[in-house]
Amino acid sequence: MSLRRLLILAGVLLIVFLGMYSWNQSTHTLDDLSTDIGLEIGGNILEPVRSLQDTLGSFWTNYVDLVAVREENEALKAHVATLESRLLATSEDLAELKRLRMLLQIPVDKGVKTLGARVLSGQIGPNAVLESITINRGYATGGRPGTPLVSGRGLIGRVLRASAHSASVLLITDPSSNIAVYTQKSRAMGIMRGNGPNKPLLLDFVPRDEGVMMGELIVTSGLDGWYPKGLPVAKIVSVEPSNFTEFLAITAEPLVDLQHIEEVLLLEQTGSPPEVEENQAQPSQFVGPPRPTGRK
Amino acid sequence: MSSLVNVGFWLLFTVVGVIVEMLIPRIDAFVAGILVLLQERRYASLLWVLPLFVAIQEGLGTRMFGGSIVWYAVVILLFFVGERFFTTDTVPFVLAISAAYGCAFYGLHILMAPLQELAIDTGKLMDVAILQAVVIPVVWRICRYARRTETPKDE
Repeated sequence: MSLRRLLILAGVLLIVFLGMYSWNQSTHTLDDLSTDIGLEIGGNILEPVRSLQDTLGSFWTNYVDLVAVREENEALKAHVATLESRLLATSEDLAELKRLRMLLQIPVDKGVKTLGARVLSGQIGPNAVLESITINRGYATGGRPGTPLVSGRGLIGRVLRASAHSASVLLITDPSSNIAVYTQKSRAMGIMRGNGPNKPLLLDFVPRDEGVMMGELIVTSGLDGWYPKGLPVAKIVSVEPSNFTEFLAITAEPLVDLQHIEEVLLLEQTGSPPEVEENQAQPSQFVGPPRPTGRK
Repeated sequence: MSSLVNVGFWLLFTVVGVIVEMLIPRIDAFVAGILVLLQERRYASLLWVLPLFVAIQEGLGTRMFGGSIVWYAVVILLFFVGERFFTTDTVPFVLAISAAYGCAFYGLHILMAPLQELAIDTGKLMDVAILQAVVIPVVWRICRYARRTETPKDE
């Protein structure tokens, strides 16, 4: 093949590719197709591997790593006692919260159902350019795109793409993750932005006169439409006036160790209207994350 | 190698490739397989293996569809360019082309990032590209060894 024909062929292929890329960018047809096929195949391969890993891990824990079990048991008993006392102490707070919610007519969020999921892998393959994980739930099993994910400590991210039984999750540390939040004590609103792995999150657009303090907890405001209100996201580690804008330069560290998550909870919208329960001492379903305590 | 064994081998390769990618984040474990297919001139196998690889990489990834197509096109193109000047079935060639693939991996990510307005950490990307260049010869060697032991007549 002559050089001229080769160049013409390369040019034609480039135009075809760019046309396909632009068409896909507007319709997402090929994205959906590849997600349905590729993510499903990948998930089906990864799930038994992860199960095998877990089995071997539990074997190790149960039969080999028994040396420290007695000490750990004692420590856990002490921890349970502490938690029980803390639970007793907070039951009054919960009752008060219940009364105040009823008083203010703020509906308890019964429109959210929690679903457990297992993390199959972190970033996988050369196209995993965003900070992400793969989980073993897809759109057929509760992991539809947009579904928020939490762990026991706080927010992890939201489902970005999903096949029938697997999904990719965008983590809050990715630079393309923007979350509407407010600070828990000073109630200053802002946008929480990811800054890459192992780097602090950035809280943007908080005016200088808001009185934000270090150590304050940042929770979702629910105004972005992606995340329910009140999910803990991060803890403020530095506050100073920005050198370039009229806002504060605030950094925060995520509450969840995103490098070492194994199980997550999906907050699936059920679509049922929120109600206020009047006769129950405690809400029977999920009403949001636990009340933040003075965690270190 | 019979067709059935060949299909079985590439399916197994795909499974192992996904596991390798799980263990070493962000690298492409399938490139070595494409290299082996090109060296063996098994273009018929390439016709079904390549779409499978593209589907898996695109499905598991978080980028817009298309990156894998360009990446594998460059992989094949570089092989044919190298074939004009060198004997392809040698270790020095594989080492050289792996280095070229590493450079191409880095360049393509830089080139494709603006299409999706992605922020690229060039330092981390360089690490991944180097790792990619290192992994290819290792996977290639294991792959060739596995196929050679089963198919002595092919050589």
